[in-house]
Amino acid sequence: MKIVVCIKQVPGTTDAKIDPETKRIVREGISAVTNPFDVYAVEEAVRIKEKLGGEVVALSMGPPRADMVLREALSVGADSGILLSDRAFGGSDTWATGYALANAIKKIGGVDLVLCGKQAVDGDTAQVGPGIAAQLDWPQATYAMAITDITDSGFVVKRMHEDGWDLCDIDFPAVVTVVKDINQPRVPTLRGRLAAQKVQIPVWTAADIGAEPGKIGLDGSPTRVVKTAPPPMRHKDSLKVEGTAAECAAVIVRQLRLKSLA
Amino acid sequence: MGRHIEQKIYHVEILPPKQDTEKLDAGLELFASKFARVMEGGYCACITDNAMGNLAFQGTEMIKELGLEPRENQVMIHLNTFHTKTDLDQILSDCRELGIRDLLVISGDGSDRLPRLAPKDIDATGVEAVTSVELLRYIRREHPGWFKLGVAFNPYEPEEHEFEKMHRKLAAGATFVITQPVIGRHPVVDKLLATFPDLPVTVEAWMSKKLELLSEAVGYEIPQGTPYDPFANLAELHANYPDCGVYLALLGFKTQFDLIKGTWK
Amino acid sequence: MIANTGALRGEYKNVWVVAEFLDGEVQKVTFELLGAARFLADARKSELWCVVLGDGASRAAKSLIAGGADVALVVDDPRLAKFVDENEAAALVRLIEAYKPEIVVCGATTRGRALIPRVAVTANCGLTADCTGLSIDPENGDLLQTRPAFGGNIMATIRCSNHRPQMATVRPRVMNALPPDASRKGRVVVEQLLPGDISTRKRVLEVFHDSENAVNLADARFIVSGGRGLKGPEGFALLKRLADALGGAVGASRAAVDSGWISYSHQVGQTGQTVQSTVYVACGISGQIQHLVGMQSCDYIIAIDKSPDTPMMQLADLAVVGDLYEVIPEMLRELAAT
Repeated sequence: MKIVVCIKQVPGTTDAKIDPETKRIVREGISAVTNPFDVYAVEEAVRIKEKLGGEVVALSMGPPRADMVLREALSVGADSGILLSDRAFGGSDTWATGYALANAIKKIGGVDLVLCGKQAVDGDTAQVGPGIAAQLDWPQATYAMAITDITDSGFVVKRMHEDGWDLCDIDFPAVVTVVKDINQPRVPTLRGRLAAQKVQIPVWTAADIGAEPGKIGLDGSPTRVVKTAPPPMRHKDSLKVEGTAAECAAVIVRQLRLKSLA
Repeated sequence: MGRHIEQKIYHVEILPPKQDTEKLDAGLELFASKFARVMEGGYCACITDNAMGNLAFQGTEMIKELGLEPRENQVMIHLNTFHTKTDLDQILSDCRELGIRDLLVISGDGSDRLPRLAPKDIDATGVEAVTSVELLRYIRREHPGWFKLGVAFNPYEPEEHEFEKMHRKLAAGATFVITQPVIGRHPVVDKLLATFPDLPVTVEAWMSKKLELLSEAVGYEIPQGTPYDPFANLAELHANYPDCGVYLALLGFKTQFDLIKGTWK
Repeated sequence: MIANTGALRGEYKNVWVVAEFLDGEVQKVTFELLGAARFLADARKSELWCVVLGDGASRAAKSLIAGGADVALVVDDPRLAKFVDENEAAALVRLIEAYKPEIVVCGATTRGRALIPRVAVTANCGLTADCTGLSIDPENGDLLQTRPAFGGNIMATIRCSNHRPQMATVRPRVMNALPPDASRKGRVVVEQLLPGDISTRKRVLEVFHDSENAVNLADARFIVSGGRGLKGPEGFALLKRLADALGGAVGASRAAVDSGWISYSHQVGQTGQTVQSTVYVACGISGQIQHLVGMQSCDYIIAIDKSPDTPMMQLADLAVVGDLYEVIPEMLRELAAT
């Protein structure tokens, strides 16, 4: 079984301060980490490999520094890593990202399963996984809580929905995005990390994956961010209430009802 | 641990490199060198466990992988509840293999990335979550007579709560206590000493000039820019708490390490 | 990438809402979107269509028109009874290429967010996820899409200048449905599911509805959270009753979890989960910054505490000075009374 896990390097969120104007907390991320949901995808891939044999390839599109997340994947059991890195990918939105990753997957060849985390915590779009599936024209399963009954031809996946779940039987090759319920990722060991340090991680450019220039980077991105702003301020006029328990309760419930919340 | 106090042996905290470090080799070298200096100096190396919920390497794996040599009674390992049972058992068995007997058992800081012990993992009943109390009981049950178990005491949290927890921790097998950093003197620490006169207590000394970092760690309000002399504070702690041990946090190995030779008289 | 330049752009007209149709019913989010999209269609002086794919979808046409649609585009087929993303995506792409809508929006539900990215890639369009705001740029008629990013710490506005249709998934419970108007006139367009739409590579085996356990912190609309002020684990039983009455989940501060009163899966804060619920009721939580970091993106914060001056009481939109063990039972009585 050949599994490709798509992982992304995102800002880690460490310090937090309150912005006095918006009364919101601002996180300052200096470090870079593996997108938390992708860690679960790597764990799932490694577990499948440990049970059934095969190979796990970690794939990431990012700047040169992103090779760290690939090494982290190696340190917990991925067999190899590939970094897709090229100035030409800069400014990619989810369409262009899905296209590049799909091309890389085609180049890797012989892939049965692509695993991704459900979304990246910086973009929060959850669009790349299904985007890869569409580019490859493979079936997909999103918000996967469990992958079971794996045979040579396919597998069963439990998909999470707001109102419950469903079970799908899917043929290989396929793309699955995972949620945190799927497993508990192992913690990398120092030994694993030191071994991963020695591994050669090839860097593939846009040319290496046969990417058409009009489909990557800014040119390949139909959407553009035109503005960013801090979130709206907390309500300036906060309400303070004192009194008997019944009086307090009445105020709370009334406020909730005024906002059509209860 | 009572021995550390009698023999005036400082506890020196060393943090393993974080997992997300981009300079792992340098971090490993630095750790090894700090460890060696603490061993040579006759002090006790206290190695943290994923401090502040940041994924870092484990003390025991650092010692084993780097081939470091723990000296008898000179290593203390922090151990928190954010491990799988398998990893927990591995750490305890590694400690035994390395001859390490002192453990500081704490609930610890979790994060997204860290697993956590569930009550059923360690046969804890009647609780919703595993805290240091349940972990103490587990260690005592699985490794009777081997480990000396210490716990934390936080004088900055509401008193009633901290004392109630302390009683439970002692009942579960704790035999020594390490406090959160104390500046000069703290009335709640005084009360701790008065309440448990036979309990070996070690007070933590904040050795960094940056007091603001302390306020973030314990929520202890300190006005910005207050001048702070860590060594003056250390001297005060020795004077105010002559029967207590001292735990040195954030000790600068370049400029401060050599100075602690004569400070505990 | 093929951009739909000026001349081609003119070919794209009308605003589409893709309905969420489950078990024979149109979901609420669809009506919320019709409410928002009505304004967009009016601004563009074009029609509002609602596309509904499902088994029994034709029965929905009336309510969709009453909800603001000018046209209900219906694909009614028993093979659409279960959610197979590939089939719906294939049909939608075909319909989009045939009818050329200018704007297509859908609810950012698990199904919407599975389906629409697939459609957008295949149809070569731009897609913005989980929008909380939609408007038309008065200068050039582009759709402006606003959404939170970085866990809610920034709001981004996105535009898709050169590709049509412009697509967006929209966060549920943010837009407002129009009051239903049964007298609204509209028409129904009937389309078929074609053999080419059906994927042979996926089958839904079983569907399970579970509204009881399904509430988790990350998706909860209401969170009732407890801290040290509860003084013991029994307090969480009371909070659970309130959470159940509101249809929400129970959260906790680190102090409560550390005391063993509730399991770590309920912990909110820097070393626990970050939540973005609509309402957060903090009971006996002082509000250390490590906790606030995890819940400050919630829309409406209510704090109940005996002490009036804690950081949480200061942050709260509604600060209630009182004993939670008295106030909450009174709240339960009030809520039950109607």
